[in-house]
Amino acid sequence: MWKTILAGLRARTARLVLSSIAIALGVAFVTGTLVLGDAVGEQTRDNFARSARNVDAAVHLAENSTEQEKGIPADFLQKIRATSGVEGADSREFGRAALIGGDGKAKQALVQPLPTTEKLRDFNLKDGRFPTGADEIAVDSKTAQIAKLKVGDTLKLLGEGEAEHSYTIVGSYQQGASSLSMSGSDHLIVSPEGMRTLVPEQRIYEIVAVAKSGVSQQQLVDNITKTIGPGYQVQTGEELTKATLAQVGDAASEIKTFLLAFAAISLIVAGMVIYNTFTILVAQRTKELALLRCVGAERGQVFRSVLAEAVFMGLAASVLGFLGGIGVSAGLQSVISSFGGPSGGESEIRLPISWVTIAAAFGVGVVVTVLSAVLPARRATQVAPVAALRSQPDSSDDVARTGKIRIAVAAVIALLGGAGVYFGLQQQREEPALFITGGATMVLLLAVLLLGPLYVPLVNRLFGKALRGVPAKLASANAGRNPKRTAATTAALMIGVTIVAMVTVVAGSGRETMIKKVDERFPSDYAVSSSVYDQPLTQKFADELAKVRNVALVAPELRAFGESTKLEYADVTGYPSEALGSLVRPPLSEGTITGLKDGEIVMRDKEAQKAGVGVGSTVPISGKDFKVVGLIKDNSYGTGIVTLASAQSILKEPAKGYQNLLVKLAPGTDIAQARTDLERVIATSPVAVLNSAAETKAELNGQIDQILLFIWALVGLALIIALFGIANTLTLSVLERTRESALLRALGLTRGQLRQMLVVESILMALIGAVVGVLLGAGFGWLLVEAISNPEFQISFSIPFGQIGAMLGLAVVAAIIAAALPARRAARNSVVAGMAEA
Amino acid sequence: MRKAHDMSALVSEAGAVGTTAAAAHNLVKVYGKGDTAVRALDGINVAFQAGKFTAIMGPSGSGKSTLMHCLAGLDTVDSGAIHIGQTEITRLNDKDLTKLRRDRVGFVFQAFNLLPTLTAEQNILLGLELAGRKPDKQWFDTIVTVLGLRDRLTHRPTELSGGQQQRVACARALVARPEVIFADEPTGNLDSRSGAEVLDFLRMSVRKLGQTVIMVTHDPVAASYADRVVLLADGRLAGEIHQPTTESVVNALAHLGA
Repeated sequence: MWKTILAGLRARTARLVLSSIAIALGVAFVTGTLVLGDAVGEQTRDNFARSARNVDAAVHLAENSTEQEKGIPADFLQKIRATSGVEGADSREFGRAALIGGDGKAKQALVQPLPTTEKLRDFNLKDGRFPTGADEIAVDSKTAQIAKLKVGDTLKLLGEGEAEHSYTIVGSYQQGASSLSMSGSDHLIVSPEGMRTLVPEQRIYEIVAVAKSGVSQQQLVDNITKTIGPGYQVQTGEELTKATLAQVGDAASEIKTFLLAFAAISLIVAGMVIYNTFTILVAQRTKELALLRCVGAERGQVFRSVLAEAVFMGLAASVLGFLGGIGVSAGLQSVISSFGGPSGGESEIRLPISWVTIAAAFGVGVVVTVLSAVLPARRATQVAPVAALRSQPDSSDDVARTGKIRIAVAAVIALLGGAGVYFGLQQQREEPALFITGGATMVLLLAVLLLGPLYVPLVNRLFGKALRGVPAKLASANAGRNPKRTAATTAALMIGVTIVAMVTVVAGSGRETMIKKVDERFPSDYAVSSSVYDQPLTQKFADELAKVRNVALVAPELRAFGESTKLEYADVTGYPSEALGSLVRPPLSEGTITGLKDGEIVMRDKEAQKAGVGVGSTVPISGKDFKVVGLIKDNSYGTGIVTLASAQSILKEPAKGYQNLLVKLAPGTDIAQARTDLERVIATSPVAVLNSAAETKAELNGQIDQILLFIWALVGLALIIALFGIANTLTLSVLERTRESALLRALGLTRGQLRQMLVVESILMALIGAVVGVLLGAGFGWLLVEAISNPEFQISFSIPFGQIGAMLGLAVVAAIIAAALPARRAARNSVVAGMAEA
Repeated sequence: MRKAHDMSALVSEAGAVGTTAAAAHNLVKVYGKGDTAVRALDGINVAFQAGKFTAIMGPSGSGKSTLMHCLAGLDTVDSGAIHIGQTEITRLNDKDLTKLRRDRVGFVFQAFNLLPTLTAEQNILLGLELAGRKPDKQWFDTIVTVLGLRDRLTHRPTELSGGQQQRVACARALVARPEVIFADEPTGNLDSRSGAEVLDFLRMSVRKLGQTVIMVTHDPVAASYADRVVLLADGRLAGEIHQPTTESVVNALAHLGA
């Protein structure tokens, strides 16, 4: 039997190569998705939790520790370094110093010492090197860009007691997104010795450690806890990462879930492509199997030969596909990083390969191949050998009508999906709504796919009506001859396009959501403040700023100190009412701040407690009664926020000016340009200093864009696979219809017309998949948008017609490319040889 | 011969008897190279009269199928010339050959004559549609009636018997009124009754309608329907029989050692 198997493999090289390609592509898709997914995970971890990178254990002060002021004792670092299992440990601290810029104005900057353990540096070096000597310094790349500093420059810092220190800049680095880096101030790194001269008093807020290989994170945590004793919080690196991500925002975890879902989809698509190929292949082999049976092979022998062949093919193709998938994900990443966002320069190609990836790749490659080969083979061997020999090899024979069972199953699944969508839409919270509805739409998709053989011929006939000319009509007839096969072929594309359309629809609003979240953190783009307390910024200066192009709003901030019978201090912060709720948006525990009127106050809840008032009651300040309309959870804003006019009325004499001016740019403004424009006005005031959140925001948005690009890359991958599926089906169909093509050629179909026929068939299949996919995707997208939207957070649903049009166009182009090879092959065949084919 | 009566009324412009419909001159076709080269056609000279039913016979490997494929413009030759009417088809490129097949030649193959996706009617009209020609409605009706396909027109090939499928193929070949119809073992897959029916129709189309038919067969009974039998052996002409009978064909074949 082995001889027969080997001979069979050799004899049917062309077909086997084709089906191997299908398997390899499927495996490549799964591998690519999983590798890309893990890469995205690593990337977000690195961007958003760089401070937890490589950390196996982290020590913090306990939350209610009395040592908050002093920090973690300095001798702990030595103790931890001496602890068994610790490969390296470093303390983390920061100090404040005034950075004297080129314009001579001082700005607040955060200074951190460079960790001595290389693995524990939570920065990526961009230029030059890290500081080693006490008089060397490295500058955050953003700070360097804004302050126009470069490697080799001298930089001056004002340390404690106005002592001036001078440094040589030796490098620049990129900081991950963290609460520290997002605070908007400038960042610097000095050597540990340099840190001590600048900030003599050490205040360690965190000690991080790396484990020796073979030591688990938990073991390390246990060892360290034993060394330093109680009263401290010791976390594993994993816990620290989670905590950091939670602090920065949960975007990363949502993306991870999304990617997992996508990997599952990739498994299904790959499985479909492989299954489809094999069904065609075995249908063609029915005769051969029957012949084997006729010459005396037992059913089991035939069966085992098919099985062995499938295992061999599945394994070989899986290896190829696995390597290909890694290559594809590397390629896609390099494409992405070539046009990535502002932070594009830092993204490196990551190829994490986990056991899950390997298992999934080979699982799909071998298991799906074997199942796809064995199930039809079983059916084939159950037929009486002679009957099988007599039957025509044309697969239109086995076109079964869509069974009642199929319809019933699809109906049940659709009902489940519908119920899921309904349940998801009822959810109040954003996340469960998103996941339940999203999952339910996938269930609905499954039902739609199951019903494919039912509506695919209908859609095909609809398209076919629009076609003119004999080759096009023949193409339509060919596409409709085996509804199951056409449905299965288009299904892969349908899934891909559905997801793209869905992502396109949701991504627009999703991006809005994320930008809104960033906006919430940084309501204003810039803050202009006075560097000298006695010299506030004048109203005239504020007016000048407001005139700068692309500035949408300038909101002055006025601190007013009054007295209250109910409070020790009564210093309120005043803003113009149009800035409240937009530029000024403190977290509220009760009430609202938007539309605050004169004579009303939004109080800090702690202050309100002290004064014994709540929403609705009044609080007297400097002889005026203010009605409390809301409570702030935050710790800033003094007693509370009032309107600018109210704040002025509390002052005994009119204000000379403002300590702070908040600046909001018009949406979509180029940040670099805006900064140049603003700096021109700022240069006219000797005391004005520009503080920025805009650059930080731009960076965050860039990272969001980059993640979206990753998702697009995954979707692109799905489309490529689906189109290869079409090419594959078409090639097999061409092989199957060799005689038919020869007959057509004999009857007078020219080579060009034969090619045209196949191209049209390919376009038809692609369009069926794409059109149904777009409709489904837009519908599902709408459901998802509906699910995420709630009364407080409305997302408007819009269909990006341009992008969807482009997608359909791409599908047609890709279909033409997919048909190119099979069409060439079909046209090259000689008529006589074709007619002789059995 | 039930249908013969209907047909006699419909004799149309008969082909010009006596002129040559197809001819081969010094035809050579070699398969393979070097030691394994086989001369399938070894300098054949043969002419086929218009308005006649000619059968090509010979043992397996005599080159009869190759000859027909070359005559019909389905295959290329290594040397020599082939004429269909006045056209030397050995000089035509693939596109012109395709057009010639479409416009001037009809085919009936042994099996797999029909496109499974098309109905019987669509199959019959396929060649005309490819040529962009309008079918002659009356002529179409005549053929369909004569071949007894009237109530089978909307059926697909899988719903037709083998004999019916071959009759549809005959109808397709006839409907375009080609200069020559080539039939490659048209009865090879049929039982003797269905085979006889198909052969009757072919003979009738020659006698009554002036059609020219060239048929390859290995069946002496089938050959006996022809006006003339051309015998081939080892790629050469090995004789011919006019007004053949089954016996004369069997005898001639026996002499060839088949």
